[in-house]
Amino acid sequence: MTGIIDVSQLVKTYGDGTKAVKGISFSVNEGEFFGFLGPNGAGKSTTIKILTTLLQKTSGSASVAGFDVVADAPKIRKIIGVQNQDTVVDEDLTGRENLVLQGQLQQMHATAIRERVDELLKIVDLADAADKRAGFYSGGMKKRLDLATTLVHNPKILFLDEPTTGLDPQSRAAIWAYLKKLNEQGITIFITTQYLEEVDRLCRRLAIVDLGEIVAQGSPADLKQEIGADSISLGFENSSMNGGGDTRKRAREVLQNKFDRISNVVDSDIGLTVYAKNGSYMVPELVRAFDEAQIRLSTIGVSSPTLDDVFLKHTGKRIRVEEVSSTNMRGMFGRRRR
Amino acid sequence: MSFFADAFHLFVRSMKKLVRNPILVFFSLFQPIIFLLLFTQLFSGLGRFLGAGLLSYTAFATAGIVLQNAFSSAFQSGTAVVDDIKSGFLSKMLATPVNRSAILFGRLLSDVFRVVVQTVIILILAYALGVFPAVGAIGYLLVIFIVAFFGLAWSGISLALGLKTKSAETVFGIAGAVTFPLLFMSTALVTAGFMPGWMQTVSTFNPVSIAVNAIRNPITGCNVNQTMCNIGLDWNTILQAFGVIGGIGIVTLGATLYLFRKVVS
Repeated sequence: MTGIIDVSQLVKTYGDGTKAVKGISFSVNEGEFFGFLGPNGAGKSTTIKILTTLLQKTSGSASVAGFDVVADAPKIRKIIGVQNQDTVVDEDLTGRENLVLQGQLQQMHATAIRERVDELLKIVDLADAADKRAGFYSGGMKKRLDLATTLVHNPKILFLDEPTTGLDPQSRAAIWAYLKKLNEQGITIFITTQYLEEVDRLCRRLAIVDLGEIVAQGSPADLKQEIGADSISLGFENSSMNGGGDTRKRAREVLQNKFDRISNVVDSDIGLTVYAKNGSYMVPELVRAFDEAQIRLSTIGVSSPTLDDVFLKHTGKRIRVEEVSSTNMRGMFGRRRR
Repeated sequence: MSFFADAFHLFVRSMKKLVRNPILVFFSLFQPIIFLLLFTQLFSGLGRFLGAGLLSYTAFATAGIVLQNAFSSAFQSGTAVVDDIKSGFLSKMLATPVNRSAILFGRLLSDVFRVVVQTVIILILAYALGVFPAVGAIGYLLVIFIVAFFGLAWSGISLALGLKTKSAETVFGIAGAVTFPLLFMSTALVTAGFMPGWMQTVSTFNPVSIAVNAIRNPITGCNVNQTMCNIGLDWNTILQAFGVIGGIGIVTLGATLYLFRKVVS
């Protein structure tokens, strides 16, 4: 028990019997930029809610900055900043009023609030729009305001649930740059996101959860090295030209019979992903073998391991980045919970 | 100390939201004002059949309209709490050290404030139509005080419904289904003597009648059946109303507190 966040055998079973978290353990060091990744429904948001004292755990233990999430919840609330997956700002209030209210809820002194709010408005580049109602803000501005509200009380730890999902690339880059700066100032950041490139660049360590359990954890470099193989992505032409719907199955047979250097084969959206050492040398052989088996390839590509491959290996799924349009869908069909 | 400061800040937030959405105030004031301007004219002939026939119908109905307004205003309180749950704002508040009960108290405070403001608007309009308290200015104070008390108890029902169902539509639906039967089976718009026997019985036990009688007395200066006027304040009726509304309030606010604790933990 030495980390700023310590989780041990944490279990959460909901009232309807759903086991969202099935005994996970991990620890985050002070000042770390920690990525908490996993497919939809893996238990990420549930874990964050428990750590931020919004949800009661079923069993196990969890502490934040040495405070128990149940017994010392009020102490934890004073030192954490929490950003929800959905952007939460009061649209009837101005940007400034949102920040001031947050400072008041954090029970800060009025003068301290005023100074801090002015400072934050400049930092998140909302000084010009500060006295406009948040309802008139763009999606990116709302997200920046939301992030700023989590920072009013100078928290030691930030919990961020998908802070950049649904944003345009420019706003996204701005938020990542700002998070990096915060982390350099010593704030511990605990983040869930679908943007693996940024995780690779910024997170010192990460954990991957799937179906309520931690399936891998370590530094991005270590996790990639563990794969130890290049990935070869194979795309097949549509199945009718390949003589039946079982192209993947036939291709797997070919791979199994003719290649012994392959470490793993996984289904992908377009066909299969093959993991092997020195993958680029295998390409000619692969093309020849599939040609003989009358399986037509539409694409073939080789890449050295990325976090995407790490994710795919451990969860069997590719992480899917929701593009900006999906936020409109969300608005139309109601909120989704994860 | 933090309880009052927290509640005050959240009260200010609710007030800002209200002022910036005047359409909400307009909607809940719309019906009472139509009643005051048109309904009372439609039934202006009714005055001489009520009790001793000493009153204009407008003066008689004002109390009922004030109460109707308290009803519709209080029911929007439950929808506001549903909004905060759905938008995630409640979660955001709960992740801060803010006093839990203050969240509820700030909400109730703003509900009461709103009912009072709307009541004042209706009383000013009634004044323009020639209705003013028979017992003088203290009558206004009493009316406002009883309405505020009633609004508080009724907000409790609305909040409890909102917390329980987490659906604004349900709160509105139930509000609509409950308001008119309770209003029509009460002395809000006619005296008990005007009703069929069974309805008189219902009306006697209807909390709306009890509240409306207490609001009416300071305005008309008459007794409950309007058979005797210029009797001044009828403390029996007024204190009875405080007792009944207080009892309802304890139950509804207790339920609200219980449901809120469940949502919070």
